[in-house]
Amino acid sequence: MPLLNIKNLNVRFGDAKAVPVVDGLDLTVEKGEVLAIVGESGSGKSVTMMAMMGLIDAPGIVTADSLNFDGQELLKLSARQRRRIVGKDLAMVFQDPMTALNPSYTVGFQIEEVLRQHLNMSGKAARQRALELLEKVEIPGAAARLNAYPHQLSGGMSQRVAIAMAIAGEPKLLIADEPTTALDVTIQAQIMDLLLALQKEQDMALVLITHDLAVVAETAQRVCVMYAGQAVEVGQVPGLFDVPGHPYSEALLAAIPEHSMGASRLATLPGIVPGRYDRPQGCLLSPRCPYVQDNCRTQRPALDPKAHSLARCFYPLNQEVA
Amino acid sequence: MSVVLTARDLTRHYEVSRGLFKGSALVRALNGVSFELEAGKTLAVVGESGCGKSTLARALTLIEEPSSGSLKIAGQEVTGATKAERKQLRKDVQMVFQSPYASLNPRQKIGDQLAEPLLINTNLSAAERREKVQAMMKQVGLRPEHYQRYPHMFSGGQRQRIALARAMMLQPKVLVADEPTSALDVSIQAQVLNLFMDLQQEFNTAYVFISHNLSVVRHVADTVLVMYLGRPAEMGPKEEIYNRPLHPYTQALLSATPTIHPDPLKPKIKIVGELPNPLNPPSGCAFHKRCPYATERCTTEEPALRVVDKRQVACHYAEQFVAA
Repeated sequence: MPLLNIKNLNVRFGDAKAVPVVDGLDLTVEKGEVLAIVGESGSGKSVTMMAMMGLIDAPGIVTADSLNFDGQELLKLSARQRRRIVGKDLAMVFQDPMTALNPSYTVGFQIEEVLRQHLNMSGKAARQRALELLEKVEIPGAAARLNAYPHQLSGGMSQRVAIAMAIAGEPKLLIADEPTTALDVTIQAQIMDLLLALQKEQDMALVLITHDLAVVAETAQRVCVMYAGQAVEVGQVPGLFDVPGHPYSEALLAAIPEHSMGASRLATLPGIVPGRYDRPQGCLLSPRCPYVQDNCRTQRPALDPKAHSLARCFYPLNQEVA
Repeated sequence: MSVVLTARDLTRHYEVSRGLFKGSALVRALNGVSFELEAGKTLAVVGESGCGKSTLARALTLIEEPSSGSLKIAGQEVTGATKAERKQLRKDVQMVFQSPYASLNPRQKIGDQLAEPLLINTNLSAAERREKVQAMMKQVGLRPEHYQRYPHMFSGGQRQRIALARAMMLQPKVLVADEPTSALDVSIQAQVLNLFMDLQQEFNTAYVFISHNLSVVRHVADTVLVMYLGRPAEMGPKEEIYNRPLHPYTQALLSATPTIHPDPLKPKIKIVGELPNPLNPPSGCAFHKRCPYATERCTTEEPALRVVDKRQVACHYAEQFVAA
C-alpha cells in the first residue's frame, strides 16, 4: 500500500464550472521514494501539493475520489485532526527561503515551535533538539545561530533552517517545492545533497517539485510530467529521459540547451501553454503537438496503463523499444 | 574581424556606509576585468550572485562610470568622453534585462515603446518610425496587431521578445543581456534563445550574455568569463573551459550543475561554504576558503591572471591541473 495515494484530484478556483487548475490527477508515492513532479509555470504542480497540505483556501475547491496519506483519508478529517498530520508526518519546504521564515522570531524559536506543537517538547529539551536539528542540516556554528533572526542568514542558510523545521517532526513525506530555484548553483548542489542524505537517513518519501529536468535526472527515482493541470506522463527516471513516451516530455527534453550540442537552434514547441479561456476541446497539447492526428483534436486521451511508461497520448512515442 | 568592445582593467568600487560612528567601507564589486569582443561573437559572463556580473553590465552600458580602467566601444574611449559623445555611444550599446515584467512600461503601447529609441536618436518621421517598428516586430515573431497592445496582454516569453526588439531597434554594435531567460520556462527559454541567435546572425551584433545557467551559456557563448567576487577566475574559448576547466571554482561550478545524463562514475566536487562577505574579502586568493586544493600560499598571495593552456586563469596551481 502506497504512502500517498491520490485518485482523481481536481482543484478549481471559483465555482464548480471553472476550468480545473489540477484536472483528474492520479498519483502514488511509495514509502522512502523520491518522486519528482516537473512542469512549466501554471501546470498545476505546486497546487497539487498545496491541496495535499490543505493550503488551498476559498475560492479554491479541492475534490478527489481519494486523498489517502498513510492510511488516513485527508479530506474526511476535521481541520483539527488534519493539523496534527500536516507539519509533522507531512511537511513542506518552500521555494523562497527568505519569505518562508517569520522575520520577527529567531530561528531557534521557529524550530522549537514545531517541537512544541507536534511533539509536546518544551524548555531545555526543545532547545537541545532544535540545536541537534540545526547541526543535522549542517549549519556552521549552530549554537550561535539559534538566536539569529532570518535576516541575518544567507539564502542557503535560511533554506537549511526551513529544512530543519520541516524535518523536526520526522515526517514520512517531505514535499520540497522548488527548494533550490532561488539559490546559486554551488549552494543548490549543497541543498540537494542535504535533502537526499536526510531522505535516506530517515527513510522518508520526498516529493520534489521542480521545472529543472536536470535536477530530476540527478535525484529522482520516478517522475511525473504535468501539462496544463494534467499528468501527461509518469515513468521511471532514466527510462523517461532516454525514451519519453509523451510528445510533451520529448519536447521538454529537446528544449534544454544541454541537448543541442553544437546546433545553433534549439528544438521548440510552437506557442504557449493554453490558458483558462482557450483550452482545446481534445488533447490539451493538440494545438502544439508535432504528431497531432484528427482524433487528437476532438477526443481527450487518458493515461494509458498499457504503455511502457504511463503516457496520456493516443499515439505514444517509442513504444517499440519497450 | 572587428573588435567592437574592449575593456582594460575595468574596476568599479562602491563606498558603503557602515553606520554612524564607523568609517565607510569599500566594496570592490568589479576588480580588474579585461576582455575584447568581436562583432557577431558572444561573451558569456558566469558566476554566482555577488560576483560582479551585473556591475559589469552597468559599466558596459554606461549606466555607471567605472572607477578606473578603460572601456572602448567601437574604438572610441568611453572614460572621459563628453556628455554629447556618451549620448552617441549609448546608441551602440543596448541592454535586455532579466525580468520582462519589470523592464517594459505598463502604460505605454508596444508600438510606442519600440519607436521611442528612434524618436530620441534619429530624425525619422512618424511614418518611417512606424514602418521600422513593424519590420522589427515581424522579425521577432510579433504580429502587426500587437502594435496597439499593452505589456500586460503578453506572456513572459513574448515580453522578452518585445524587450529584445526594443534593444535591437537602433541596431547596436553591442547587446548586453543580463540573465535574459532566467525568468522563463524551459520551452519558452528555447524560443527566446533561438531568437537571440537569429538576430545575432542577421545584424552581426556582439553579445555580452550574463547568466548563471551553465548549460545555457554553453549553448550561446563563444568566449566564457567566469567571475568570483569581482575578479575574473578564468576566461577563454568555450570548448577549453567546458572540456577542461583549470580554475578550481570553474571545476566546482561545472560539477555542481545538474545534467540530464549524469555520469555515476564521475565524482562530484563538493564545495563547502558560501560566498565570502565582499566587505571583508579573504586575503590572498578570494576562493581559498572554499577551495579543495588550497595551500598556505593561497591564503597570502593573490594569484595573477595569466595564460595557461589557451585560456587565462587566476590560480597558482593551474599548470598542475593541465598535467592532471
